Amino acid sequence: MTDNNEQAASGDVARKLAVRVKRLDDAVELVAASPEFTRLSKIPRLLDSARQVLMVDGGCAEAEARAEAIEQCGVFEGSDWAYPQILIPSLTSHSLRSPQMETVVVEALSELRLLAVAKGLYLHPHISKEQAHHYLAQVLAINLELLFGVPSEAEREQQGKLATISRNVIRHLAERIGYEHVIDQLIDEIWRMLNQRPIQVGDVRQMITQIAVCRANPEIDLGGSGQGADRLISSLFGPTQACREDPGVEVYQEHLRTMDSVALQSEATGCARAMHDTGLVSPYHAVLIRYLLNTSPSLVGEALGLSSTGRDCLLCYQDLVHALIHEGIHPETCQGVYGLALMLERGILYQPPVAPALWRQVLLPVSPYSEERLRMAFGPAPGPRAWLIQGVLSMLGQPLGVGQGNNPTCQSARALSMWAYNDPDYLLQMVAWAARDDEIIMHFEGQPVSSRLSESGVATEVTLDLDPVSLLVVPHLDRIYAEMGRMCIGREGDPHRWVNPEFHGWWSGRGFRINVDVATGQLDDLDGFLRHFYVSYHPYYNGNQPLIHPQPAGIAVTDSAARFIGWHAITILRVGLDQQDEMRVYFFNPNNDSGQNWGDEIVVSTSGNGERFGEASLPFGEFASRLYIFHFDPLERGDPEAVPAEDIQGISEMVYRSWGADRVPGAALQADSGPG
Amino acid sequence: MAKRERKFNPDKGYVALLGWSLNAVEAAESFDRQYVVVAPDWAEPYCEEHDIPYVPWNFERLNDRSVEIAQTLKDMGVNVAIPLFEETVEWAGAINSVLLDNPRLFGQAMLLRDKALMKRRAQLGGIRVGIFEEAHDREDVIRFLKRVNQTLLKLDGDPNDPIHLKAFDKAGCLGHRVIRTPDEVDTIPEEEFPVLMESHLDGWEFAVEAWIHNGKIRFLNISEYVTLGYSVFVPATPDLEKYRSQITAEIEKLIKTFDIDFGFVHPEYFVTSDGTMYFGEVAYRPPGFKVFELLERAYGFNAYQGLILAFDPKTTDEEITAFFPKEVVDAKGYAGCFGVYPRRRVVSRLEMPEETEDHEYFESHELTPPMEETVTKRTAFGTHWGLIYFFGDDPYRMRDLLKHQEDLDFYV
Repeated sequence: MTDNNEQAASGDVARKLAVRVKRLDDAVELVAASPEFTRLSKIPRLLDSARQVLMVDGGCAEAEARAEAIEQCGVFEGSDWAYPQILIPSLTSHSLRSPQMETVVVEALSELRLLAVAKGLYLHPHISKEQAHHYLAQVLAINLELLFGVPSEAEREQQGKLATISRNVIRHLAERIGYEHVIDQLIDEIWRMLNQRPIQVGDVRQMITQIAVCRANPEIDLGGSGQGADRLISSLFGPTQACREDPGVEVYQEHLRTMDSVALQSEATGCARAMHDTGLVSPYHAVLIRYLLNTSPSLVGEALGLSSTGRDCLLCYQDLVHALIHEGIHPETCQGVYGLALMLERGILYQPPVAPALWRQVLLPVSPYSEERLRMAFGPAPGPRAWLIQGVLSMLGQPLGVGQGNNPTCQSARALSMWAYNDPDYLLQMVAWAARDDEIIMHFEGQPVSSRLSESGVATEVTLDLDPVSLLVVPHLDRIYAEMGRMCIGREGDPHRWVNPEFHGWWSGRGFRINVDVATGQLDDLDGFLRHFYVSYHPYYNGNQPLIHPQPAGIAVTDSAARFIGWHAITILRVGLDQQDEMRVYFFNPNNDSGQNWGDEIVVSTSGNGERFGEASLPFGEFASRLYIFHFDPLERGDPEAVPAEDIQGISEMVYRSWGADRVPGAALQADSGPG
Repeated sequence: MAKRERKFNPDKGYVALLGWSLNAVEAAESFDRQYVVVAPDWAEPYCEEHDIPYVPWNFERLNDRSVEIAQTLKDMGVNVAIPLFEETVEWAGAINSVLLDNPRLFGQAMLLRDKALMKRRAQLGGIRVGIFEEAHDREDVIRFLKRVNQTLLKLDGDPNDPIHLKAFDKAGCLGHRVIRTPDEVDTIPEEEFPVLMESHLDGWEFAVEAWIHNGKIRFLNISEYVTLGYSVFVPATPDLEKYRSQITAEIEKLIKTFDIDFGFVHPEYFVTSDGTMYFGEVAYRPPGFKVFELLERAYGFNAYQGLILAFDPKTTDEEITAFFPKEVVDAKGYAGCFGVYPRRRVVSRLEMPEETEDHEYFESHELTPPMEETVTKRTAFGTHWGLIYFFGDDPYRMRDLLKHQEDLDFYV
């Protein structure tokens, strides 16, 4: 009986699919037969019939089989999808979740087209079989929750029935490409992210949870893959013997009560090892630390995994550390444990104002407005003050783990990171003003600039996907930054010249070089600019002087096809030789993931080339080819002529091949310098 | 954009399309007549980009400069102008009176543009029309409503028969209102006057599309409305097609009365239960609601190309006879479309009902996501939010399917 019903149902689906596929074929034929000037008006019908097909089980396979014909109809023309070689896998998670039917369908069709390419069914002029396969594996990894997760309320609300398409496509990809590629790719991706030690690890936690769920599901055959996930999963759900089965925090607490000191010691080292291996903290770890605080305070250092430096710092400031743990570390805010450990390791508590400033932080009253914002972002428990303490600990421990979230506020994120790195008590002052007073006042050339009186910032609205400190401070900084920019209106040249030193701190060089003419957007004295950068920053040409303070700088970000995307704020942290004796610039990028492909074979490295956690790096010349603003000390002059002409020539060519392609002044140069 | 290689038949006419219609251009592009598009200057970049022959012209009210466009087209060697929209009908008349050296064509076009004049002329030609009158203010409307209902021997308290209000010179349903009580008269905005008022005819409304060449009907389609302003399909059900010979006679009367020698007419009629035909109105341009597209789907011929043939003075009888199929019997099936109006007051997205999408007759739709969340209340018959197309082999199933769409939500 059931069998009959099932057969009838599958017959229905097959019939439905056949009808819809016929409509898709009709639409493809209609578009293909149309003169070129009316095609565009018929694409909506093609997309809608594709949508109908993709909604039904088995529809993806039908669309995949027609991928070449569909692409030939011109559905991708005029958009990035027309150049599959430059597509970025991580963007698919936005387009597949779009409430726009066209976006979802075009993205889905693009994936299916690349699947046909990867399977050798479609010989594409722009992308190879291997490239397509590689790209799709990443798409799968990034959209894993579409594969295994339950549809969220947000997804339903925004996308309605469209969500079915995204899910169908990802499932079809997984079946055709193989689950084992997904998981291994995802694990690599997670490790790559974690190697940058971000403060915000919500997404990473979610992905690890997906893998754990997937491994526990007997219906999913992972083959030999997923082995590398053990450390990730255990660091979140079972870092030690006593919680390996993920028993829940209450049960774990009971376990702790029965343990002798040897067992507790082993719990402490186990948690610490997991934390330092991954940068992730398990909620059990927070439970353990709180327990140790009351029963065996001597084991707290063990549980934080401290070296002799950190241990020394802990012993000097024991009361403060205990107060911070007591107020700020809970299972929900467990990530603060890692921040605390690294903060102690940095030794910044020995700077006279830092410890008292942290005492203020422990008891800081939070304004109702700030409380509301914290609650909206992080939920009701624990209280807003605990979240803020966690945020402060994370930022002071991981100054290079600050990310701007999904906001155009790279300047503010950079400033927070720079202060945490270089001027921690100033950062704590900012947090106090923002959280307690809802106002920050900075000074621009002697004039006070209030965040409350300034009208609007660079960002119209600052989203909630930020760490607690950024969440409260960035809206203020953003308004002040924009106001300082407004105060420069009428001055000749780029306002960063004046704003950067006033906004970031006295240590930003007052000397300023920019290689773009602000009025015309054309390149301006590139040769002089590059030589000056060499004599200011390159140890071989600046008298072997390591960079002292972090310096703000501006880069022209390019995409993987080396096309200009926009201007972006970063911090130059240090310049030095890597283990291959190549001179590299190490820098901080407030963008959430520094590992970016800037095209023309310039791929920003985040580990393996001498980077510390959170640093990005490039060989000196490659970095210089994307630089457009830097600061320097005008009193330190070098000899620009000492820089070899071939170095400058090589870098200039990299500029002309990428963001500088259409910025070359004068017609004579334009003829021979473009990328062609 | 590289110039396209075009092969036109030098023995045939050169036509000007008045107004911008992508479907018409596409049809002309793949036909054997030389053509040029006459359209407002916003069409220029598109025409240039795609190498479409184009003359800029803004179709406002006829004025002293009107002769300019006629002369321009004459100098180019154009033989005839074809109106694509209501607003270009009088322009086609004016231009063709110059191109074809026939001043009468202009007067004919003016008749066809004014609904009141049109009805008078029809009446004079012995065509049966309902009671009608012009209204200049709300008073006129109330008086007409009362008189019509007195004529129908209604007593005080009986529900009134409604009357219909239409703009003189707008296409189709634009500005069409139904008034039942004097209270409703107050809802008519001042700027809509003057209007044409008509008594309500309790009958079956339908439309006709007729291609005329050398004074003869070359193809006559009957479009069946399921609900006026919502849905239409072609060919009609046998229930309506049984009046074909009567309808043909009516169209011949119309051709004679309006002295139409060539081109295309799109009249509307009512047929009452006793088989009497009442004339509603007639337009000298392609119908709205994509009937041309439906005809192509049903019969396989391109109705715009038929239009070019019917207007071109160099078309021969043999050519046009060969072009058109035989009505009804040559149709491959029934093609219909449904105009969607949102039913809810607040909508957030487009969502096709599954039963529509899964129906074997469903073909495609042109609905777009909502631009605003709040739906403006409909005061007059007016603009739908997009069309849905169906095709199938049973006219009754088609009719019921179209009717059923009215009960579904496409915007939620």
